[in-house]
Amino acid sequence: MMRVELFGMARAIAGASHVELAVDGPVDLREFVRALADAVPGLVPDVVAPSRDAFVEPNLLLLDGRRAVRDGERFDRNDNPCVLFLASGG
Amino acid sequence: MTYAGPRDLLEIDLTRRTWRRTPLGDDVFADALGGVGLAVRLIDERVRGPLDPLGPENPIVVAAGPFASTPVPAANKHALATISPLTGLLNEGLSSSHFSAVLRRCGLAAIVVTGAADAWTTVAVDGDRIRFEDASSLAGRSARDTTKAIREAYGDRSVRVCAIGAAGERGVRFAAVENDGRQAGRGGTGAVFGAKKLKAIVLRGRGDVAIADPEATAAFAKMLRERALGPKTTKYRVLGTSANLRVLQRMGQLPTRNFGAAQFDGAERVTPERARESKETYVELRAGCAGCPVQCEHLYVRKDRDRRRAAASEYESVWAFGPNCGVDDLDAVLDAIGRCDEHGLDTISTGSAIAFAMECAERSLVPHDAFGPELRFGNGAVLLPAIDAIAARRGLGGVLADGVRIAARRIGGGAERFAMHCKGLELPGYEPRALPTYALGLATCTRGACHNRAATYDKDLRDPSSEPDDARRARDAIEAEDRAVAWDSLVLCKFVRDCFEDFDEEGAALWTAVSGVPLDGAGLRAAAQRTWERKRAINARLGWTPDDDVLPPRLFEAIAHGPNAGRRVERERLAALQIEYERQRSVRGARAGATNAEPALRVAQKP
Repeated sequence: MMRVELFGMARAIAGASHVELAVDGPVDLREFVRALADAVPGLVPDVVAPSRDAFVEPNLLLLDGRRAVRDGERFDRNDNPCVLFLASGG
Repeated sequence: MTYAGPRDLLEIDLTRRTWRRTPLGDDVFADALGGVGLAVRLIDERVRGPLDPLGPENPIVVAAGPFASTPVPAANKHALATISPLTGLLNEGLSSSHFSAVLRRCGLAAIVVTGAADAWTTVAVDGDRIRFEDASSLAGRSARDTTKAIREAYGDRSVRVCAIGAAGERGVRFAAVENDGRQAGRGGTGAVFGAKKLKAIVLRGRGDVAIADPEATAAFAKMLRERALGPKTTKYRVLGTSANLRVLQRMGQLPTRNFGAAQFDGAERVTPERARESKETYVELRAGCAGCPVQCEHLYVRKDRDRRRAAASEYESVWAFGPNCGVDDLDAVLDAIGRCDEHGLDTISTGSAIAFAMECAERSLVPHDAFGPELRFGNGAVLLPAIDAIAARRGLGGVLADGVRIAARRIGGGAERFAMHCKGLELPGYEPRALPTYALGLATCTRGACHNRAATYDKDLRDPSSEPDDARRARDAIEAEDRAVAWDSLVLCKFVRDCFEDFDEEGAALWTAVSGVPLDGAGLRAAAQRTWERKRAINARLGWTPDDDVLPPRLFEAIAHGPNAGRRVERERLAALQIEYERQRSVRGARAGATNAEPALRVAQKP
């Protein structure tokens, strides 16, 4: 299981600050987003795109709240994934 | 092609109590578009050298957004520009809603106010008629009460008003101007109103606003409205900007206790998201600008209190009185925001001034009892007395009312080291030590420390692990600045920024449909660059030099704790970035025949 921290819209829709994903080993970003959409279907379409393999901007995934996932990179629960949300000023 | 929209410029001289109304030429709109672009051009024509921002010669420009009062959503906006009493440099801000729309229904593209009245005055634009009205009975009243009184006097609720509160009347250098519950907050335009004894501008107009291509405009407006009701703006409709507080806390980028730390233990207790989740305790009210489907404003008040005391919960305002003052009491923070609106004060600068005073008290540079309740980080009870004292310019409040730059000089004792401002404008709520491109943007921004003009924090936050080279960072900063000018000249609310697939091309096409003046994406970018060049040129005439593009000393000290512990702005790195920034600006400026190429080149040649 992978524990994911949720912020912003993801948290508001899930109604929880964390969610557990049913994934065992390392995943890439697409696999992660699919697992997240499976765990919280309500995230589609406001947080996860209808294709279920990408986030709707400005939602994004940061590992340990500090760095973005690189192309092709695989990560696991020890990387402390956070689904963040940035609301730019106007 | 002929510009289709309202094109009159109304010039008001408060000293002589005269006015002149003249049509602006097509070339003006083709060159400057509207909103900020037009306002900056009008300032550029009038400010030819150093001036006293609180003197009668300082012009105030109100320039309509070119899509206001059309079917285009999120576009009822106008720009306000003047020379800031806080920075001594150009200040251009935005406000929105009905006032913006009625400005165009009066047939106006812009108003310029110069001179100074000898008694409190309102300027009324009533269709084609202009009146100077005695406002002595409105002195001391809030913008909201002023609006109510003027409407009652006119017997007409459709009258639109922009006004100042008591803080503007008393020359608080970060006083705001308010219309329809919206504020042009930053930079102290309200103090310039006050110095002119201009209490309010009143508009009543019902004229038609011509559109060059109504069908194309309607089609684009329909598409934008649909997008603005979709997932691209859900974040603003459901949560608002205050959702950033939890995120920045998690990332260790939440300026805390006057930028003394980057995480706040009380963040969870003060986030407005918590009020939203506590429906048994708080009532959430929604509001928005005229003609905007997003309705982004989220106001909160405890259920046992009067709903009229509900306060807006924008991130910057909550940050200024919450984490930045170390206050973890959400009710105290919301009350502080509401009190600022009553007095007509910018929340960012007010909160920053109080946080600065708290640190001064901690260092025994000012009395702990200056405002009654103990002046210390974390004491929410001191916020309202401090705000009242600032608005009244009473005691220490009178010192803080000049902004932290001037206050630090007066207080002495090394207070400049922790006066958090750029060129006199107090910093907003993002931690520059963890956001290098944003740090560059703050240093170079023509307005001072403005997150909406130097919006590069967005790029830094999206990938804090990336380390682009200096050329890329400089280009990102420049493009963010120019993009902001384009948005602010069209004027569209930046909250619909994600609703465009190609903003330059779509924005230009929309301009062409509404105005009838042809523009493409490259033309829009060029217009934005021209306006940025004008901003820099105005500042240079006012005495700005590249040496003024500095950050507060504290940002060169390392963050002590949290995920970004040890990070600081490195002087040498920032200097290298600034040289690269100026080099790229010079290249672009030279291509555009820029007026500011000389100072830019000077800094580029610095060793």
